[in-house]
Amino acid sequence: MRFKSDYFEEEELGRVYDAKMLKRLWPFVRTYRLLLAAATLLVILITLTELSIPYISKVAIDSFIVPDVENSKQETGNSKIRYLKTGITDPEAEAIVRKYSELFTVKENYAIIPFGELSKLEKKDIAVLRKDDIRGVGMAALVFVFAVTLNFILKFIQIMIMEYAGQKAMYDLRVHLFSHIRSLSVSFFTRNPVGRLVTRVTNDIQNMQDIFASMIVFIFRDLFLIMGVAVVLLCMNWHLAMVSFAVIPLVLCSSLYFSRLARGMFRVMKIKTAEINTRFSETVGGIKIIQMFSQELKNFHEFKILNREQYMAGTGFVLILARFMRFMGFLDVFVIALMIFYGGAKVLDGSISLGELVAFLAYMRMFFGPIQDIAQKYNTMQNAMASAERIFLILDSREQLPVSSDLLSVSPYQNGITDIRMEDVCFSYVENEEVLKGIFFEIRAGETFAIVGPTGSGKTSLINLIIRFYDPVSGRVTINGQDIRHQDISALRSGMALVTQDPFLFSGSIRENIFPGDVHISEKEVESVLTASNCRAFIERLPKGLDTELSEGGSSVSSGERQLISIARAFARNPQLIILDEATSYIDSETEVKIQEALGNLMQNRTSLIVAHRLSTTRNADRIIVLHRGKIIESGNHEALMARRGFYYKLNLLQR
Amino acid sequence: MKNAFDIIKPYLIEKRFHLVAGLFCLLGVDVMQLCLPRVIKWAIDDLTVFGTDLAGLSVYALYMLGIGIMVGLFRYGWLLCFMTMARRVEEGIRNRLFKHIQTLSASYFRKTKTGDIMAHATNDIQQIRIAMGIGVVTMIDTFVMGTAAIVFMGYISVRLTLFALIPMPIIIFVSRFFGRKMHTMYVEVQKTFSDMTEVVRECFAGIRIIKAYNRESEAMAGMKAISDEYVGKNLRLVKITGSFSPLIDFLANLSVAIILCVGGWQTIKGEITPGDFVAFNSYLGLMIWPMRAIGSVTNTFQRGKASLDRIHAILQTQPEIADTPHATPVQTFSSIAFENAGFSYESGNWKLETGKRELKQGMTLGIIGPPGSGKTTLLNLLPRFSDVSTGRILIDGTDIRELKLHDLRSLISFMPQEPFLFAGTIRENIALGMTQTSGFSEPRKISPEQLIKAAEAAALYDTIKSFPDGFETLVGEKGIILSGGQKQRIALARTLIQKTPILILDDPVSQVDTETAGIIISAIRAQARSRTVIIVSHRISAVRFADEIITLKAGRISESGTHEQLMRHEGYYAKTFGLQQIEEELNAF
Repeated sequence: MRFKSDYFEEEELGRVYDAKMLKRLWPFVRTYRLLLAAATLLVILITLTELSIPYISKVAIDSFIVPDVENSKQETGNSKIRYLKTGITDPEAEAIVRKYSELFTVKENYAIIPFGELSKLEKKDIAVLRKDDIRGVGMAALVFVFAVTLNFILKFIQIMIMEYAGQKAMYDLRVHLFSHIRSLSVSFFTRNPVGRLVTRVTNDIQNMQDIFASMIVFIFRDLFLIMGVAVVLLCMNWHLAMVSFAVIPLVLCSSLYFSRLARGMFRVMKIKTAEINTRFSETVGGIKIIQMFSQELKNFHEFKILNREQYMAGTGFVLILARFMRFMGFLDVFVIALMIFYGGAKVLDGSISLGELVAFLAYMRMFFGPIQDIAQKYNTMQNAMASAERIFLILDSREQLPVSSDLLSVSPYQNGITDIRMEDVCFSYVENEEVLKGIFFEIRAGETFAIVGPTGSGKTSLINLIIRFYDPVSGRVTINGQDIRHQDISALRSGMALVTQDPFLFSGSIRENIFPGDVHISEKEVESVLTASNCRAFIERLPKGLDTELSEGGSSVSSGERQLISIARAFARNPQLIILDEATSYIDSETEVKIQEALGNLMQNRTSLIVAHRLSTTRNADRIIVLHRGKIIESGNHEALMARRGFYYKLNLLQR
Repeated sequence: MKNAFDIIKPYLIEKRFHLVAGLFCLLGVDVMQLCLPRVIKWAIDDLTVFGTDLAGLSVYALYMLGIGIMVGLFRYGWLLCFMTMARRVEEGIRNRLFKHIQTLSASYFRKTKTGDIMAHATNDIQQIRIAMGIGVVTMIDTFVMGTAAIVFMGYISVRLTLFALIPMPIIIFVSRFFGRKMHTMYVEVQKTFSDMTEVVRECFAGIRIIKAYNRESEAMAGMKAISDEYVGKNLRLVKITGSFSPLIDFLANLSVAIILCVGGWQTIKGEITPGDFVAFNSYLGLMIWPMRAIGSVTNTFQRGKASLDRIHAILQTQPEIADTPHATPVQTFSSIAFENAGFSYESGNWKLETGKRELKQGMTLGIIGPPGSGKTTLLNLLPRFSDVSTGRILIDGTDIRELKLHDLRSLISFMPQEPFLFAGTIRENIALGMTQTSGFSEPRKISPEQLIKAAEAAALYDTIKSFPDGFETLVGEKGIILSGGQKQRIALARTLIQKTPILILDDPVSQVDTETAGIIISAIRAQARSRTVIIVSHRISAVRFADEIITLKAGRISESGTHEQLMRHEGYYAKTFGLQQIEEELNAF
């Protein structure tokens, strides 16, 4: 109930570079590069509209609301006073100037009035004096609304494109990963619990999708914003700009530092998530046993520890993030303080206008907002990266059976099997624990070949080698004299039918289980398969017949019936080689008699290999080998073996 | 638990300190952030009339530095508090889900897929965590900052503030409208994610059959189909979320436009000072952010809510089989009585009926019958994996439904037809039943002798001795490294090591060879007098010693009696015996 041995444990990872990881992700994104380019282009446009928004405000303030100081300020003694300038050619304006003549200083064709004195004027008079400004502000607002609307439309299109590309790319990655795992050899599945693999294909990819979907957009956007604003800042006042840029290296260093810490936590979380899934799946699978043996508390207790470890890693990340944000929060305000001080001094000595400083401050926020954003996203990106690591770890696993460089183009079944041989085959699952030792035998076409022996003697392993779930450590397995390693693996398997010890049925209807993917199968064929496998009687009794849905693990039909279905599945393949692995173990004697008949019919002109417990099966076999501790200790037909009075004979006596 | 939100409540109460402290820090950050524009305003106002010098500016800069330090500290505080709380909610709900699932009855798992539960345990709970963490923080922040910004703006100019708030009702209306749509779609997206998890899980669990039958392309097609559906559902969702947040941004920006226009006019007319205008604008900036955040908050919450509803649905499922309020404890028993106990599956075509029969302590009941005749169904009734649909089963005169479930199951050692091993060591798997009484104390010690004895009885000891790690051998998921017979014998040893008064064995020798079967059967026989045994087998040799043997056919008992009686009856039993006899004779010859 625990995963403590390194045999079943997930690999620890060393330092992995993000750039490398991103490079590996690129092929999945490349298909959608045009869409990505379009989205990026849109991001530029969006950024431009976003940049224009404060600029519109700046223009409105500088030109209309608080007119530019350069044109209106006058030296009066030591202090500077801001003046409003108005033309006096307009009769309305002239009337007002005359009305408050003590406040205005009249020059050649214009009059000026200090801003401080404006409040002494009547409101409606000011409105008249500044009617151009009022119209200007109205225009600016209209332009503003236009920019904002454009921004809205562009954003919508951009999000749709980006999401589409992101979803599709992750879809491709998921399918690729799934297909890769599926192609791995059986030994890989022995080491990796199903829950872990499922986590990689579902949770981890989902995780990457969630993060990347928001990430790519925002990082691009933020980068453009940063660059755009940087240019604007430099143009406005390169001096001020350089001062504010001084903190950037600090941001970079700290985000690199914190993200490395975060990565470690995310790694732990990825492993724990897989374990949580595995634990749930195991609990559901073994629920009867858990309830029967009152293991609920103990099982829960163990789960709680696991869940707590996940929690600890989670809060560990929270702590890292909090420290990081503390630092960034300070930096943020620090830069503004610097600007107020340094920029304010510049305003005082008149090298920049007040409007410029205000705009500069606004842009500063637009500059440091995205920088902080990127820094923080780089942190959360570690989450996606930790997922990517796990995914690539699986994609890197090359635990496939080697594909021979000189594959035979001819299927062994084209002209029928003539013989199947094992030549000096040795095999072990784990090093130095030999399961099969020096196996030699030959099965000739049409023969019924039986394997008997005590449990654990290597019968199932022997079958695994013929189906090529595994390759022998030494020696070779041949069909028609050709090593099966030179055969295309699916061509090899296409001619075989296997009935295993525990019949695994898929959820779906009985029909789909027996005739997978075979839509165009005639009623006659269906009938003949069902009759041959003795399934007809019980299927006819089911209300929905062949279309009865089987739930997970097939628990809605009895195990005997499941066994019958799995036999029918084998029949439906019309194989040249039938492999029965203790297939008859769940079936009562009455049914077994019928099965024997059906098998007899089916095995005509076919080769069959049977792992037998019932000696009634071996009796009819053309040849029998007796396996014991991975070695063939006796072989021959039933009569010959009985006459030998050896191991086989003793097995027979015991069954009496 | 009527409301889905009640699931979260206990963890909020538990972490109330975090909640309060976090709230305090969040308010702190907000206050600091509101002070900042105030200081900027002073500086700007001074600069407008050139009423300051370098010393004055440096005072302002120092103020701001102080604010910066406070912002940093408070931010650290709320992040730590709220995020820890969210992680705790995640942990708590997951524990609760796990605990709940363990109480559910077998019938629930016939309908529910493992992949579905896995998706709930990880993906859905994660969405809840995100909603509880960043979602809640953003919501509080939105509320506080929004309100404060409005108050400050109102302080400068009530009229302008009202103008700035014009888009607000539209934002509220839009987010309610979109929120409802999002919720429905998120429920669908999460459900499809569950389905996808199950498709993947099933494929990997059945990989051997898939490979042997070259079903790779079908598996791939199934996976692609569900992935397509998932992408499709997601893209439909994106149409909503993708138009929603830019729309909110647009509406929020509209506020700025209104203020630029109206505020600009007022400044020009001298109704407010330019400094006020700039300050008002920066407060507006403070309000714009919360307005825009309504978009992401709605999104996160709807997603979390959809997941919470899904979890709620599981937690709402009551175990069909549970203790009655007045369940009686039970320690020993002297007889089991079936009183016309009956059971039928919803989809089944027959009904199991036991009629009246009694099983006294120490007796052995043997059951045979063709596949699908109801043997396993009958065995499932006694430990209450299923409850009878008609009639009763009594232990010493009490209906087993009135007994404490835990006590009832403690009376029984059960070996199901398909051995289920946990991914631990052989020792852990055999000792499983010995650790039952308490989950938290050390498991009761099992002496090596006991272990060896049980292993020997299950004809397993020689096999275990041949493993380099012996009893400490790790068996892998579901005992993957072992052969079928080895798994079966470990499951048997697990039942034999327990000293419960009742032993139920479902086809215990189906996957072992005849020699091993012989050893196992004699071990069972040796226990038969001291324990009450109910045994199902297809092998006559495994049941012939029973005090009573019944034959099931399509749910009904077609014959019953001792071996001798049944032999005289010449029914299914006799026929089967005959067949197996002939087999053996043929073999012997």
